[in-house]
Amino acid sequence: MVLLLPSYTGTILRVRGQLELKCPLHSTDVLPMHKAISETFEILRTQVKSESCVLAVCDSPVVIWPNKGANATPQEITPDTLCEDIHQWIQSDEQESFGKKSGKKKNKKSLASSVISLHLMMEVTNIGPLSAPILSRTVQKSHFISTTLPMDCAVRTSGNDTIKDACERLVEALTRQLCEMEKVTLQHMKGTTLLVPEPLHFLLPEPKGLVTVVYPAGLPDDQLETQRKELHQQFELPEDRPYFRRANVFHFPSEPYRDGYLRNPHLVLTHPTMNDGKPYLVQGIYSYHHYMQDRVDDNGWGCAYRSLQTICSWFQQQGYVEQAVPTHKEIQQALVDAGDKQASFVGSRQWIGSIEVQVVLNQLLGVTSKIMFVSQGSELASKGRELANHFLTEGTPIMIGGGVLAHTILGVAWSETTGQIRYLILDPHYTGAEDLQVITDKGWCGWKGPDFWDQTAYYNLCLPLRPKIV
Amino acid sequence: MCRLLYVLTRFALRLPLRQRYATEIRHCAKHCGKLCFSSLLTNPCPLSKFKRSPCLQAHILSTVLLPADRMGRGYIVEDAVERYLCELCEPLAGPITGLLIGQSSAQRDFVVMATRTPQREESAAATGNAPDKEWVTEHARQVSRMLPGGLSVLGVFIITETDGKDALTTLRQLVFAVENLISSEHLWNPADDNITDCVTLHVNPKTRKTICRTFDIKDTKSMAKPADWKYQSGVCSSWSMVSCCLNVDMLVPLPSNTTSTENMDACLKEGLKVWAHQIMSGVCLFDGRKLPEDTELTAGQKRNMRQTYTTQLLITPDERRLTDVIQRCGGSVSVRGTIHSRAYLHSNKPKAKLAEKLLKRDVVSTVATRVQMLLEELLTSEEERKSSRDTQKTEQFCLPRRVFCPIEATGPVCVCDYQFSDEGLCEVIDRLKEMLDIDAAEEDLDTRQEMTAELRESNIKAGCKIVCVCVCVCVCVCVCVCVCVCVCVCVCVCVCVCVCVCVCVCVCVCVCVCVCVVRAQFFYIIILIAKEILIP
Repeated sequence: MVLLLPSYTGTILRVRGQLELKCPLHSTDVLPMHKAISETFEILRTQVKSESCVLAVCDSPVVIWPNKGANATPQEITPDTLCEDIHQWIQSDEQESFGKKSGKKKNKKSLASSVISLHLMMEVTNIGPLSAPILSRTVQKSHFISTTLPMDCAVRTSGNDTIKDACERLVEALTRQLCEMEKVTLQHMKGTTLLVPEPLHFLLPEPKGLVTVVYPAGLPDDQLETQRKELHQQFELPEDRPYFRRANVFHFPSEPYRDGYLRNPHLVLTHPTMNDGKPYLVQGIYSYHHYMQDRVDDNGWGCAYRSLQTICSWFQQQGYVEQAVPTHKEIQQALVDAGDKQASFVGSRQWIGSIEVQVVLNQLLGVTSKIMFVSQGSELASKGRELANHFLTEGTPIMIGGGVLAHTILGVAWSETTGQIRYLILDPHYTGAEDLQVITDKGWCGWKGPDFWDQTAYYNLCLPLRPKIV
Repeated sequence: MCRLLYVLTRFALRLPLRQRYATEIRHCAKHCGKLCFSSLLTNPCPLSKFKRSPCLQAHILSTVLLPADRMGRGYIVEDAVERYLCELCEPLAGPITGLLIGQSSAQRDFVVMATRTPQREESAAATGNAPDKEWVTEHARQVSRMLPGGLSVLGVFIITETDGKDALTTLRQLVFAVENLISSEHLWNPADDNITDCVTLHVNPKTRKTICRTFDIKDTKSMAKPADWKYQSGVCSSWSMVSCCLNVDMLVPLPSNTTSTENMDACLKEGLKVWAHQIMSGVCLFDGRKLPEDTELTAGQKRNMRQTYTTQLLITPDERRLTDVIQRCGGSVSVRGTIHSRAYLHSNKPKAKLAEKLLKRDVVSTVATRVQMLLEELLTSEEERKSSRDTQKTEQFCLPRRVFCPIEATGPVCVCDYQFSDEGLCEVIDRLKEMLDIDAAEEDLDTRQEMTAELRESNIKAGCKIVCVCVCVCVCVCVCVCVCVCVCVCVCVCVCVCVCVCVCVCVCVCVCVCVCVVRAQFFYIIILIAKEILIP
């Protein structure tokens, strides 16, 4: 699966779990409510620091008690075991039994396995005997808060960290997250509506790495602009591109994407080497859209639509827009709305070109794009500098249409001195399944030379520009 | 499917086929009733001449030959049950019904005790000789509350001279009613591997002949299937036990309209369902280890040795997002405390999965039973109470504690009962006798697993004032004679202020002991060292 972690040799421990927030509110005045909520959060913090807090490693028999000196089961795991040794206990799909993996797999550490998922649980059993239960009934017209808090903490560990160190940091992270959740809850509480605080992880450029921010669930991004500006200042990030929008959430490698589209298939390719030249690639994440997806049979006419969908997916996943990737009909409707086409256009199988792509990007996403015109395909070889520049500054995928075909350019490898040029092409004409192997082997996503283009046809390129927002 | 297989499966029950494969059947029966495919295939098999693959032959044989457990279930019954049933045959006065209690497993079933339906206060003659279905099912419901994990009501017996067919009809009605009532009270979903067969036993008191049949309660049109009924001694003497002490901490809101006990019942049931789901999906550790489902719990231990395992249960709440996080309510109900839970496992290589399932079910049912019992108590007593409700009032009630009683002097298996804080052990003994026909003495009861709940007054809200009047007697020891008399008035806001004036001529040590008459508690011991105070 696609991996966006920088080359990092440590292990990330990620703890997820639900904690119940239940609190009777005897008064709806602001101060008593806040006090009651704060007290409940304090109880939760005590729970997390108590001996009944338990971290269970997913898909394995390993269970750790972080507040009991990092005691763990099975007995072979001691507080001094290294974190990366836990990998051996995790049951992968090939393995049947619950024991250690056979063979030394220590050296082979694929990046995908460098995240260990843990489940936050509470031990309810005790050493008895203690007193039998008491039922307590309070009758009073009041309010009641009942929800669960989605805890989600990630802690980076290096090669030398033991389980004991990791546990201390995890418990600390959980406590801190509860404090942040309390702050966010109280901040966004209006009368008797309460928004559940939701932690999200964002990957910032090194050396800051993975950062967790708590947002109130249900509030759209545009209402959180002040928070984002503060975060940008806090982390000294440029204020013209988004890092903390919901769409920028870091996607952990082990989680499959729910929509089923492939992300960044170009990452598995080896880039061409050339003297004095280097590849300039698209920045960020896009999904691969091609013929026959979504049960739409657009074989033969929909290639530009698919390329446009790929571009829209880029803007969505970088956090610039919240709308989902538009369907063919929605694209056509946008063109009608923009006045570019007649109403009869919707539902037809007419082709579109770069100009239409530019119009739709503007109409639906508010994105402006630059159009580049090439009168002959052979001229494209000389556009190396411009394309390289585009990928450096904007980093958006480029839609190119000409002759009878449309494609997406994801990158260019160009040498200033020799003039050699290669293009990284994502081909929307593919009609098969989302099979990364086939797509890369058969060149549906691959590096092409200048002879890929029809040397006599003219081409239009649409180069979308990033909006300057946070 | 080949023609041969089709023919064989269609006519699998026909006698001629069974005679034809009599050798194979006998061979199978010899090997514990299980089909021993490999040995069958080495012996000459009439099917082998058809040159089918071994798997197909095995499949054909399995459908044709009906291995032993498909012919009917086998019940292994404790010797004491035979003696009990014989005793019940003595009086020969009208039909006697009762319940059979034990544990089912995939291979065979164990019956460890039997108990007769208790007599009704009204004369039995009024209702005729037919057993009262309502009464029998109510008895079964009460009995099922008194069984810890692993033990359940397996079926019904009847001791009557009436004709077999009538008796069978009666038994059928009773057993369906009993099982349906008991399973409707469960807070968990029946698992797919649940055994759904129930046993009925018809004993003829004159001839002492027993006829044992099973019904499948999942199928309302189920026919009676014959079953084996074999007596054995020491059936449960080497059964294992898994147990734990579990903290319960539940908080549910009450609806805002009314405040009666029925409403509390519905809310608590909802809350219990949610909590039960958390428990059933929790992680179970046996002796500190998380075992894969199909591991044998007793693997590596000596056979026929009874084992006890301490269990730990780890739970996590399910994600729950209501559209309104804050709701209006009319109050809240909480259940907090610790319970002891246990489950017994048969000695025939029980799996970890079974132990986990039985223990979790016991955890859920013991809490649900106690809450139910308390609510039943409250409902009856609420009609008598005409309490004026303040707008802000907290009431506390103790749930009953669990008391265990072994079913036989030497065995590990116990039944249980619930003792309210205002009851004594004699009430427990009476109930054990009435419901389970067990003669127990106070010394036999195991009351050490749970302690009676204590209501703590600190739950009373701060802000309400109690005025208590203390009479203080001060004893002064000093060099010279003096007399001190103190009167103090305490206003309780968690602080007691005692004012004592001591008049004496010279150095003295005054020890003030306040005894609060209303609360019957010692309040403060104040030691005053007074310097010379000269009183004019």
